[in-house]
Amino acid sequence: MTATSSSRETILAAIRATTAATAKQAGWLDEAYQGLPRTYNRIGRLDRDASLNLLIERLREYGAGIAETTPEALPDAIAAQLASTGKRRFAAPAALPSNWLAPGFEWRVDNDLPTGEIEHCEGVLTAAAAAIADSGTIVLHHGPQEGRRLLTLLPDIHVCVLLASQVVETLPEYFRQCISPPELVTWISGPSATADIEMTRIKGVHGPRTLHVILARDN
Amino acid sequence: MTPTGQPHAELDPRFAPPFPQAALPVLRNPQLRKNVAHAIDIIQAKRGRLVDEKDDWQQLRSAASAIRSHVLENLGAYLEEFEARCIAAGGHVYWATDAEEARRIILEILRQEQASEVIKIKTMTSAEIQLNPYLESNGVRVHETDLAEIILQLGEEPPSHIVVPALHVNRSQVREIFARKMGLPELSDDPQILTAAARNYLREKFLNVPTAIGGANFLIAETGGVAVVESEGNGRMCLTLPRTLITLAGIEKVLPRFDDLEVFLQLLARSATGERMNPYTSLWTGTVKGDGPERFHVVLLDNGRSRILRRPVERQTLKCIRCAACMNACPVYRQTGGHAYGSVYPGPIGAILTPQLQQLHHAQSLPFASSLCGACYEVCPVRINIPEVLLELRSQVTNQERGQTKRFLDLLYLGLRFANFLFASSRRFHLAQRIGRIGARLVTRKDGWIHSLPSIGGKWTQTRDLRGLPDETFHEWWANRKKEAQ
Repeated sequence: MTATSSSRETILAAIRATTAATAKQAGWLDEAYQGLPRTYNRIGRLDRDASLNLLIERLREYGAGIAETTPEALPDAIAAQLASTGKRRFAAPAALPSNWLAPGFEWRVDNDLPTGEIEHCEGVLTAAAAAIADSGTIVLHHGPQEGRRLLTLLPDIHVCVLLASQVVETLPEYFRQCISPPELVTWISGPSATADIEMTRIKGVHGPRTLHVILARDN
Repeated sequence: MTPTGQPHAELDPRFAPPFPQAALPVLRNPQLRKNVAHAIDIIQAKRGRLVDEKDDWQQLRSAASAIRSHVLENLGAYLEEFEARCIAAGGHVYWATDAEEARRIILEILRQEQASEVIKIKTMTSAEIQLNPYLESNGVRVHETDLAEIILQLGEEPPSHIVVPALHVNRSQVREIFARKMGLPELSDDPQILTAAARNYLREKFLNVPTAIGGANFLIAETGGVAVVESEGNGRMCLTLPRTLITLAGIEKVLPRFDDLEVFLQLLARSATGERMNPYTSLWTGTVKGDGPERFHVVLLDNGRSRILRRPVERQTLKCIRCAACMNACPVYRQTGGHAYGSVYPGPIGAILTPQLQQLHHAQSLPFASSLCGACYEVCPVRINIPEVLLELRSQVTNQERGQTKRFLDLLYLGLRFANFLFASSRRFHLAQRIGRIGARLVTRKDGWIHSLPSIGGKWTQTRDLRGLPDETFHEWWANRKKEAQ
């Protein structure tokens, strides 16, 4: 589109006119950026157990279910959690460990499942990329064990398995541990909610209305 | 926006009445004032609690302020970086100098997609360019998907807040709108039931409408990524299910790096809704094979922003991350609600942003719609000195009007020139004080208060009382005190 490409030049020229006074060398921008003040807390203050307890407390506040287990007992804990939902048809990302797919349930493993099929699943079981205790946040990067975005969006129940080693205390610590910026991220802090009617918090609008977290203390 | 495609004239700065006039119907509507005050009290209390628990809140504000200022100083470089990365990730980038161009670009994309309807994530920027009525009048049906936006769209109500746009509507009013428009006469006014009604109403739209339009909370220059912050999951639906996604974003929305979100995600939800983190934040980069839309378009909107950038004092307006903390804290907004501001951006940020986007041609009263108490500055997570910008705009409006003959003969300006004459000499000033005291005796009531002043002074006493003048001035008291001591 020629119109927008000339608009591009117009806008950039207008912006440049505001900063033209300072001619900049290559690398200047980076240096200026590095010099920005960052005196806020960038590392946590709690030990591992206190961090995990804080995460559990926050998730409870959000009304999310939480079950604690060990790595050895994980498959049993998953089976128990799934059974407690009373539902049978669950979706799962393709790369979940096979012993997580508890027997006795109808599993729909996502090898390009059509949308309609995901919509008909009553729940979904996934892993997570990280969790942030301070805000009670579960982070998905939508890798092979976390599933594509649709998978954790349409089913009404999300059962999410979290390893204790994935939990950090603060948001900045999460960003420190990302080796490179992920292409896709969903930060989930409690089940979907709205307060649009008289600021009354209502749980469960469009995303999964129920979130269960299974925390495996692996260290 | 109304479904019939007509924009709400009361929120178009070109047609809206001036603030004092627009505020009157609200001030006379106790239900509306109750709804607004109720919602604001709840947000304010939650915000206060969560901000208090962060012992590094001021440091986070400083970092956010510095990052946003740095971006604005180097906006060209960061926008070009964003553009290059977004294109490399499979996105298409468009630049729009004004609202009309942005609307045309979006319509053209929709025509190429042969889209006759779109689902929408709440975006104030689209309200700024009046996108919905334009699309409707060009044969595209628009479905808002945020609960508050559905209430407004179905109820044909204008938004009154940038985060909770329907906060002026109470539950029984929502029930009435939903019952009528969704054909559910038996609906109760329980918010839980009303929310479920919206969920059912929209589910079919999410699954079947292949084109979505949304905004951006942040653009990431380093990666070409876009972040959207929301609560309900309607955003995730619109970002994931459709084949084509169009994002409309102001050019100021860019952040240098992915890591910068560690500052803004801590500030935004706490400031906006009083939550440690909003339920869902999504970030995506261009198009991703097998996950989400196949085609992704970003429209970068100037619409007056590069002009604001040029002015050293007003530039800080563009640091705004649209959290609405300033309107929640504002004693004026609390009384008037959002509609009086005659713009989709109400409250203190609207009072400085709207006149600037309009080149001061409309909305002349807005910079004066403030007591300058500074509450907005104190809560602003990116430290925009709103009172400073208000004062700057006031002086510009006044200077613009000064040359006009109409103003030359205006009583207020005559009065001010006369005051200038009196205050310029201490002799004239003391004389005026003595005469003024005699005059004041005529209007001071027995209780020692002045309840109404004549002429234009009456505008002041319409809504306030003045204490009567004391029997002697400080200077007189000081002089007498010396005499007595001798």
